[in-house]
Amino acid sequence: MKLKIVFFICLMAIFSIVLNSCKEDSDTTKPVINLIEPAEGDALQIGGENGVHFEVEFSDNEMLASYKVNIHSNFDGHTHARASGASVDYEFEKSWSISGKNADIYHHEITIPENATPGDYHLMVYCTDAAGNESHIAVNVALSH
Amino acid sequence: MRKLRNSMRISYISAILICMYIGPLSAQEVDSLGTISLNEVVVAGSYQKNIDRNTALTVKLADKNFLNEHFTGNLMQTLESVPGIHSMDIGSGFSKPMIRGMGFNRIAVTENGIKQEGQQWGSDHGLEIDAFNVERVLICKGPASLRYGSDAMGGVIEITPLPAPAENQIYGEVALLGKSVNETLGASVLLGIKRNAWHIKLRFSEQHFGDYRIPADTVVYLTQRMPIYGRRLKNTAGFERDAALFAEYRKEGAYYANYAVSNAFQKVGFFPGAHGIPAVSRLQDDGDSRNIDLPYSTVNHLKMTTRQQYTQDNFRLYWDAGVQYNHREEWSLFHTHYNNQPVPEKDPDKELVFSLPTFSSSLKADWLGAEQWKHTVGWDVQYQHNSIAGYSFLLPEYKRLTTGGFLVSVFHPNKNISISGGIRLDYGKIDISASQDGYLEAYLRERAYAEAFIEAYKWRTYPVNRRFGDISGSLGISWEPNEFQLIKANIGRSFRLPGANELASNGVHHGAFRHEQGDASLASERGWQLDASYTCEHERIKLSISPFFSWFDNYIYLKPTGEWSILPHAGQIYRYSGAEAIFAGTEVELHIDFLCNLTYRLTGEYVYTHNLDEQTSMSFSPPASMRNGLIWNVKTIQFRAELQSIAAQNRVARNEDRTRGVSLIHLSATMQLPVAGTKADIALSVHNLFNTAYYNHLSFYRKIEIPEPGRNIQLSIKLPFKLKLK
Repeated sequence: MKLKIVFFICLMAIFSIVLNSCKEDSDTTKPVINLIEPAEGDALQIGGENGVHFEVEFSDNEMLASYKVNIHSNFDGHTHARASGASVDYEFEKSWSISGKNADIYHHEITIPENATPGDYHLMVYCTDAAGNESHIAVNVALSH
Repeated sequence: MRKLRNSMRISYISAILICMYIGPLSAQEVDSLGTISLNEVVVAGSYQKNIDRNTALTVKLADKNFLNEHFTGNLMQTLESVPGIHSMDIGSGFSKPMIRGMGFNRIAVTENGIKQEGQQWGSDHGLEIDAFNVERVLICKGPASLRYGSDAMGGVIEITPLPAPAENQIYGEVALLGKSVNETLGASVLLGIKRNAWHIKLRFSEQHFGDYRIPADTVVYLTQRMPIYGRRLKNTAGFERDAALFAEYRKEGAYYANYAVSNAFQKVGFFPGAHGIPAVSRLQDDGDSRNIDLPYSTVNHLKMTTRQQYTQDNFRLYWDAGVQYNHREEWSLFHTHYNNQPVPEKDPDKELVFSLPTFSSSLKADWLGAEQWKHTVGWDVQYQHNSIAGYSFLLPEYKRLTTGGFLVSVFHPNKNISISGGIRLDYGKIDISASQDGYLEAYLRERAYAEAFIEAYKWRTYPVNRRFGDISGSLGISWEPNEFQLIKANIGRSFRLPGANELASNGVHHGAFRHEQGDASLASERGWQLDASYTCEHERIKLSISPFFSWFDNYIYLKPTGEWSILPHAGQIYRYSGAEAIFAGTEVELHIDFLCNLTYRLTGEYVYTHNLDEQTSMSFSPPASMRNGLIWNVKTIQFRAELQSIAAQNRVARNEDRTRGVSLIHLSATMQLPVAGTKADIALSVHNLFNTAYYNHLSFYRKIEIPEPGRNIQLSIKLPFKLKLK
């Protein structure tokens, strides 16, 4: 009988630890990306002087940290058939720091050089918050002269 | 946080002290083989009880009846009806085990005493075992590393053959399986002969299935709406072909031996929308629901094992040895993110190949000491050599040697109490080959990174040469206060050697779609695991409750670092890191036999996980769930109706999606029909009667928002036959 009682005390101890540790979880909410420009299916001009019009709104429940933009070719659904000649597959990758709960970004920092191969590309936007929650989205864009 | 940790530590230590006071807590011994050979005749019904009594761990026996009743053609999906056990599915073909929220490298699956070794660290790996060929499974929930080595810290699924038939005979079975959800057709043939000292059986099984149906017309992934043509998930078809030979020799006397050879082959397609960025063009219906197109994966598992056993008086010496060869390939249309990577001339679409031979040896001796004692000592060695190929890179080549010795003693002060304790010493050595990536180097150069930066990042893996060693142990009690009740408690100190993926993986896996990186400086995983169980069986009622609590001072998990990966196509780097973590929860099982052959069955489970460093839950925490079932027996027919309720999982790790709850209804009937002088076992079932669309938090396809398979009508027929020999 004594053993039984002790056993249950032990169980209670376990549960009290479990309940103790049942604190609110820290932030697991991902930031939200609202990409305004370029939109799905947009055409981006090769060799444009002003660069690509890039406009996006980020928001997070706590604190934004950084975002990254990547553009890579999607010729023939990622089989990456190479275009011959002088043109090269365009690739862009850059990250920026941001902060606060909301960030409205607008810039023309993405420039596409004259020798970029025209065709289908993916444009991806990644965003992280201070806790490491991450969102990303992808849109299909076309590069043309 | 530190305060919380301190208070945690204090209450934790006091809990341990209380346990110490109770006295001898646990040790582990899941000794089913021992039980069989030491007591030749074990009455079927009391086998579970017998095992239960002799171990301080929480064990569950899935016997032939259980396996027949829940048969699905997939072992893990069959065992999922056991509370605390989960099947992590990759579509309808591959499944891997999870016990109490732990999966991957933390669960050991053994067959004929040898641990199955594949690529179990991988998220799209499935267990390579023929479900038709499983006769009896013993599941140990909780730390079993003492006997099975460091990878068994989360539990063991032990597959053992049934004892040979007593009389000389030729016997066999033809089993057929059909499923509507993916138009599975499966068949298996068994032929066995028992003649005097020899018993030999041979089995061949095959299963073919098409794309599975989901109750949805579209899925939304990365803000893109993807159509599901004909409500069938494209390219999820597959097939499985398995053969197994088992021979055993037992003479009245001291010597026993068995030999087993088996080969399992699986080929399963992956949903093309799950590889990389969703592209609607890849989801067009190809008009064939049974073809396996790119991307797909194949795995072949060849296994040869033997047991040699010598028994004399109170002493038994046995040796289990095995050679396994696991060969896994992933095929996907050639793609690269490096401009300078050419298309390979041979097999251009072979993306990843892992070849893993494993050599295992385990020598054990049992002896009954002075009347109340039983001791077991053992020594095991395992050696692996992983080699790789393919145009992509994920895991490096490595060599891994692990060895361990243990002593377990069981003390029976009287017939109602059994106290067991044990200690184990482990040593492990892993040698990971370095690999440089010329394409990555050129890619970085092209992008004009600084020379020092390129020097540091051009390596896919640095050479890693690590040695690990640790002591683990456990202490437990199993106490039967009277004939109706059984109380058990066990405490174990466990540790696990980090896997090669945790030390040195470095790459973007198409499925996970993120850059996962190992950390060569990781310390081994360590924790204290406490578990208990209470069983009460009285006339028409059977109740069992099994709570557990584990605390890890170093639990290895994938931590989102917030650093952007330099690899093309990846977001932030996820790096394997150690954290202080808690796993706790309980399982409950209740059976009540009413009058008129009616039985009510309730099973429930809850797992709480917490990462104390991140203050979030651990990823892949199974949601709380409950099954309410009614069983009605009419002559030889048994009808069952079950309501399965799965709670929402809102406690998630970072970058893991919350999953909402669901209620499902399943119906089934099993019957025995006399056919041509034998009795056919027929089982008909309807899973997910209302074709409800829901998500499984543990499924591989969860993160791309693909619902679980819809309504499934399944028919299985088993036709045994027997011919007595003189």
